[in-house]
Amino acid sequence: MADAVVVHPGAEAYEPSWFRTYSKKIGMWLFLLSDSLTFGALLFAYSYNRLSTPGWPTPFHVESIRNASIMTGFLLTSSLTMVLAVLASSRGDRAWTRNWLLATMAFGAGFVLLHAAEWNKLIGEGLRWPLFQTLFDLQPGTNPEYVAATRNFPQFGGTFFALTGMHMLHVTIGIIYLGAVALRKMWLPILGVLAILCWWAPGPFHYGFYVLLFGLAICAIVLLLKPMDYTDHDIEVSGLYWHFVDLVWMFIFPLVYLMSTRISS
Amino acid sequence: MGNVQNTPHRADVGVVDSSVQHAAHAHAAPTGFIRKYIFSLDHKVIGLQYYFLALASVFTGLILSVLMRIHLVWPEWAIPGIGIIKDEQYLGLLTLHGTFMVFFVLTTAPQSGFGNYFLPIQIGAADMAFPVLNMLSFWTTFAAFIVMLGAFFTVMPIAGWTSYPTLSALPNAGSLPWGQDLWLLSIALFCAASLMGALNFITTTLDLRCKGMSLWRMPLTCWTWFVTAILGLLAFGVLLSGGLLLLLDRNAGTSFFVPGGLVVNGVQQRHEGGSPLLWQHLFWFFGHPEVYIAILPGMGVASQLLSTFSRKPIFGYRAMVFAVMAIGLLGFMVWGHHMFMSGMSPYTAFAFSLMTMAIGVPSAIKTFNWLGTMWRGKIRFYTPMLFAIGFVSLFVSGGLSGPFLAQPTLDIPLHDTFFVVAHFHLIMGVAAIFGIFAATYYWFPKMFGRMMSESLGRLHFWFTFVGTYAIFMPMHYEGMAGRPRRYGSMVVAGGLFNRLAALMPLEKFISIAAFVTAAAQLIFVINLFWSMKKGEKAPVNPWEATTLEWTIPSPPPHDNFAGNTPVVNHGPYEYSVPGVERDYVMQTDPASVHAH
Amino acid sequence: MTHPAGDVVTAGHVQQTKAQFYWVWIALLVITVVEIALAYNQVFTPGRMLSVLLVLSIIKSALIIGYFMHLKFEAQRMKWMLMVSVCFCLALMAVFFADAQRILTLGWKGH
Repeated sequence: MADAVVVHPGAEAYEPSWFRTYSKKIGMWLFLLSDSLTFGALLFAYSYNRLSTPGWPTPFHVESIRNASIMTGFLLTSSLTMVLAVLASSRGDRAWTRNWLLATMAFGAGFVLLHAAEWNKLIGEGLRWPLFQTLFDLQPGTNPEYVAATRNFPQFGGTFFALTGMHMLHVTIGIIYLGAVALRKMWLPILGVLAILCWWAPGPFHYGFYVLLFGLAICAIVLLLKPMDYTDHDIEVSGLYWHFVDLVWMFIFPLVYLMSTRISS
Repeated sequence: MGNVQNTPHRADVGVVDSSVQHAAHAHAAPTGFIRKYIFSLDHKVIGLQYYFLALASVFTGLILSVLMRIHLVWPEWAIPGIGIIKDEQYLGLLTLHGTFMVFFVLTTAPQSGFGNYFLPIQIGAADMAFPVLNMLSFWTTFAAFIVMLGAFFTVMPIAGWTSYPTLSALPNAGSLPWGQDLWLLSIALFCAASLMGALNFITTTLDLRCKGMSLWRMPLTCWTWFVTAILGLLAFGVLLSGGLLLLLDRNAGTSFFVPGGLVVNGVQQRHEGGSPLLWQHLFWFFGHPEVYIAILPGMGVASQLLSTFSRKPIFGYRAMVFAVMAIGLLGFMVWGHHMFMSGMSPYTAFAFSLMTMAIGVPSAIKTFNWLGTMWRGKIRFYTPMLFAIGFVSLFVSGGLSGPFLAQPTLDIPLHDTFFVVAHFHLIMGVAAIFGIFAATYYWFPKMFGRMMSESLGRLHFWFTFVGTYAIFMPMHYEGMAGRPRRYGSMVVAGGLFNRLAALMPLEKFISIAAFVTAAAQLIFVINLFWSMKKGEKAPVNPWEATTLEWTIPSPPPHDNFAGNTPVVNHGPYEYSVPGVERDYVMQTDPASVHAH
Repeated sequence: MTHPAGDVVTAGHVQQTKAQFYWVWIALLVITVVEIALAYNQVFTPGRMLSVLLVLSIIKSALIIGYFMHLKFEAQRMKWMLMVSVCFCLALMAVFFADAQRILTLGWKGH
């Protein structure tokens, strides 16, 4: 018979889950375990370079630290709104689930925008990947400290952009993920508009267009091929991912920023 | 299949009660060709897709190794379509041989191939925990394979399957653009795919065991797939970040892995401040667990087969499980023994040496238990059993050189010679391949519903077994005589290696043995494809084995157990139970079968 | 096919309250402010600063994992297996540093 269905038996046919919870949550935890080792390896690579380079530059002034502190506040607050969304969904309160998810995305977007502005400012002032020294001329308005850091300690810019870039990519993926969970198909046109806007973004963020376009394609495949109502389990699982992104920043912030402060005195 | 049941939960799915909605996940048996064979969600089809991908890779790797052996002994031969193999091309062949074999064969076939097919069946599940992720994982692996083939057809990377910088990091140091970049891209894709596979395997094992299938009743194959998945989960993420940094070194001018003051072809490089040792650490942090990812499923298959064909319970089931766990744990703590030559800190080298020696203990426990299982058993020498015994033999032969290489003082003169080539090919390469062969001969009747030819199987075994020893045993001697590895032919007149000219007859012998062994693999291919069409029809349980896959038709239906999840009452290795009529007790037999 | 059991097997599912989340959030913000203050005023030598900041960050991540990610309320075996394996692997990577320090005394020194 053509439409025969695989009948998956109910809970009574199986041993209880060894972790005493549902599969999606276990799957997400396992992914996060692996991802934390990816970030761990990057942070260890950064620390390795820093240890083996005498005279590692510490060029971050008050305004950089202030900016990064505000970003940290954004991310922490987004974690709070995320747990409130999970709480609302476990009550079955769909309106507030969506509201809190949107708030989470807004704080996340704020984080990315602040971070992007900071990147562009640093790049403008002369902190670059070695390859891009040749792409952008050293215009006036550069900060001799950053130019010196780029020239004499190429590892500084290399690790800074690799680490924070990887983290920013994770935050962006998180926003796309939460958008799909919160808005479902309504998210697709919004994401499309955001992608197009990204085309005119300054500096390296022009390439964000391709990231968002890729995210849009994945979201479209998932949302159109397998339309489903996301439940409190899905929201909890997306929350796990979001908190993990926050968690990683809790290590990048002190190691990359706070350990490289120079307070002019 | 006629009666379409509603799941009992389906009717009352509420928005809030999500647990129930998961239960309603059900997929129809697909009818179209594409959904059935290409983008299939069925773990059995995905397992076969992995298996055939590995088959394509293993023959690619085999041809590359034949070309390498030709270059080593007869460098003047012109190969049709390639011409005379140059020394750089030899390095390219070596790199791609290693990459195809380690990633696309030894990681793919035993774990993703057989694991996908038989893990859910052996624990009594209808499918993997995340079927869509499973499909994605295969297609990502396939994409990685295509990209790696791209590296083969553009400019071959020459930095070895370990891609050591600085050779791999500097485009003008020989590893020209494209080849190495494609290699890195392919490996990044492979990491992502392995990650998806690993978390699927772990979740399936933790969540989808049928009633009565406690962890301590799982067949040892399931235990090894489970532990291998944990290793993969924790190891591949690290390779991903290493690969990312190397990609940046090549394309963004960073120098994570390139030290300063390097002069290549008379030009001082702009890189400075990095350390090639960092790559070696990151790579081997992944690389050593990877060795166990390759061999552990083979150990599981060998345990399963030795017990089944000796008609005896496995000797020391729990000791076997703990040994697998210990190997997995220690496997993370020994990566430094690949780096004794690199100038790493001698203090850490000491610790790594000690840990490496410690791995001998669980390995010896396993070997002892395999022999104990066969001891005084009523052994049935079918082809799968021959390959399982061959596995043990190769594991021991390759393993015995391990304690020598584990000591920095001995490793330093031996590490860059053919001694190491012989060591890892025996213990990790060919032993794991023997595990794959054993699994193929054993499970073929279940997968395709027909038996493989026994006489062709035996012929294949003896050629491969004798051939393997003929190839790799002399390499130990060559290595001790000082024959370096990662070098092209040493017959160049007046070359660096004239002092090794006396080894030439041995080199020729190895090459001829390699050609014969490679040709003998055609027997396997003929047997495989001929038996698929013309083999004798297989009964449900041709080997009189006890585990769950032998309770269902051959080949299994789309949903494995037709909706009737089995109930397990027995352990997996109850053979020759006293007082029972048959000499084996199926796992699903009623619990009262003991009370004769 | 995910485990169908879901909540049925969720042992001792402790309901977390809003108040708890707010307290955790405030604690995280306070620790962050402490970190920034320490860095601003350069209270410690760099080596000491690193260890203090890392300890504070580990406390923060424990709060996030335990409360926000709900791990404190999961089954004991899940908690231990996940945390022990990831901490073990990360701790092992500290072995890299033995070689990072040797670079300072070996080979080409740069500037």
